[in-house]
Amino acid sequence: MHATIQKPIEEIIRHIQPEEKVFVVGCNNCAWKCHSGGEEETKAMARRLIERDIAVVGYTVPGPQGMSLCKLDHTRKVLQKDYADQTAQADSFLVLGCGQGVHTVIDATDGGMVHPGCDTIFGGETISESDIQEFCSLCGECVIEYTGGLCPMTLCSKQLLNGPCGGAENGYCEVDKERPCGWVLIYERLKKLGRLDLLEPYQKPKNHARWSRPRTLKVSPHEATFCSQAGKVTVNNQI
Amino acid sequence: MKVTSLYNKGVFVVTGEVGPVKGAVSRDKNIDPSCSKEARFLQDYVHAVNVTDNQSAVMRLGSLAASIGLKERGIEPIYQLTCRDRNRIALQSDILTAYSLGIDNVLLLTGDHIQLGDHKEAKPVFDLDSVQLIHMAMGLRNGKDIAGNSIENPPDMAYGAVVNPNFVPLELQLMKMKKKVDAGAEFFQSQAVYDADLLERFMEKAAPFGAPVQAGVVVLKSPLMGKFMNENVSGIQVPQSWIDEIASVNKLDRRKKAVEMTARFIRSIKHLVQGVHIMPLGWTDIVPEILKQAEIDIRQSAFNWRLA
Repeated sequence: MHATIQKPIEEIIRHIQPEEKVFVVGCNNCAWKCHSGGEEETKAMARRLIERDIAVVGYTVPGPQGMSLCKLDHTRKVLQKDYADQTAQADSFLVLGCGQGVHTVIDATDGGMVHPGCDTIFGGETISESDIQEFCSLCGECVIEYTGGLCPMTLCSKQLLNGPCGGAENGYCEVDKERPCGWVLIYERLKKLGRLDLLEPYQKPKNHARWSRPRTLKVSPHEATFCSQAGKVTVNNQI
Repeated sequence: MKVTSLYNKGVFVVTGEVGPVKGAVSRDKNIDPSCSKEARFLQDYVHAVNVTDNQSAVMRLGSLAASIGLKERGIEPIYQLTCRDRNRIALQSDILTAYSLGIDNVLLLTGDHIQLGDHKEAKPVFDLDSVQLIHMAMGLRNGKDIAGNSIENPPDMAYGAVVNPNFVPLELQLMKMKKKVDAGAEFFQSQAVYDADLLERFMEKAAPFGAPVQAGVVVLKSPLMGKFMNENVSGIQVPQSWIDEIASVNKLDRRKKAVEMTARFIRSIKHLVQGVHIMPLGWTDIVPEILKQAEIDIRQSAFNWRLA
């Protein structure tokens, strides 16, 4: 999931021009889970804008709970058909969702003006309804086979691949004394699994070209093609 | 002059450390930057002087410029190079530049995180880790850059690395140290240690790797500094007994006390290691007396080394 937090309302309205008519769009998946853009927050945002004399022409959270705003065909149908009257009046769309959701609204409205209502902060695991944590940095080249599934690109502040720096104290990171050193976590997990041998081989420098942006993925039931500055990688999907 | 030639002769190697100035070097050649002044105190008592690379992620004069400054004044520098602010292109280019300007010793390390310094909003680089950096430096020595391209006139410098004997779990730190040795690290300088027993346990495990180790010694100047280091300096723990001992004398007598404590500690550990790396944190003037009381005299070996 893409974790998001709402921007302060003062920051949001600073970018809305006088007389601008705004349509508010939420996301019923990730932003709903983050309480940054579900149905309640989207409705509340419309009300808060109206209280600040912003012309709100409508609001919606496309799809049922669990459906993402970034599902373009559905979002397009909702904005261009179900809410056709209101969106036709809108000068802009305030999006309560992640950056992918904002771009989905651009596509769904054939190039409409957008305002981001949230900061997209990371891709995370929903540990519980109130706890979302980051375990993957989307780096394009997974290295967690030799770390027991714990990602050093994410859990180590310095993204070190060959073990810890000398900075940790009592198992905590030099950057944040309340956060465990990622390498100590990896070590403890592999020790418990009896697989400390996995840490012995030298790990080569990362191919950062696979982490270049923007990246694309073309998929079919038969194959997938990942395109980055590292080139095209096509894999057969064995079904 | 490579410090590895000292180790090869079995010399007990003593190094000091200075931090470059926060600012530029005056163009008036008669004005010495403070780091050079500090290094001059050390000159006759240590083999070489480390020059830190934006230490604690605080922006300063470049470590290469300061290293060259020392070299010009007849002081052998150990140029510190970290992964924090440079990608692999810049790291390789800086290694080639250092060699081209006359540097013989490089200490290759990860670097303190940006969050510890004075530019917290900067982008951390860490394109490589320290093990990969050592691999890459060895590649350059063997005539190839990290992308496999041949280079002209490969640099030939001594490559050092760091290790933290205080790290818990130690086994994990030793795994990394082994990787550094395998990558080509020729000598090690340790993080500051204050516990002889801890160092002994560490050296029992580290000695089989075969690389010489210098124990890191940070001069404790005041009880407040001990408390500050425990709270703010990563990877170092100053025992309460040290803090109590330096607190037992009044301010005027602290230099004398610091000399006594540091020398006593060095005497107790010098049989365990192949050298010491003394970090006097500004009190460079007391280093000669520390070494005298620790019964370490490097003048003859340094003379022979410089002559060779």
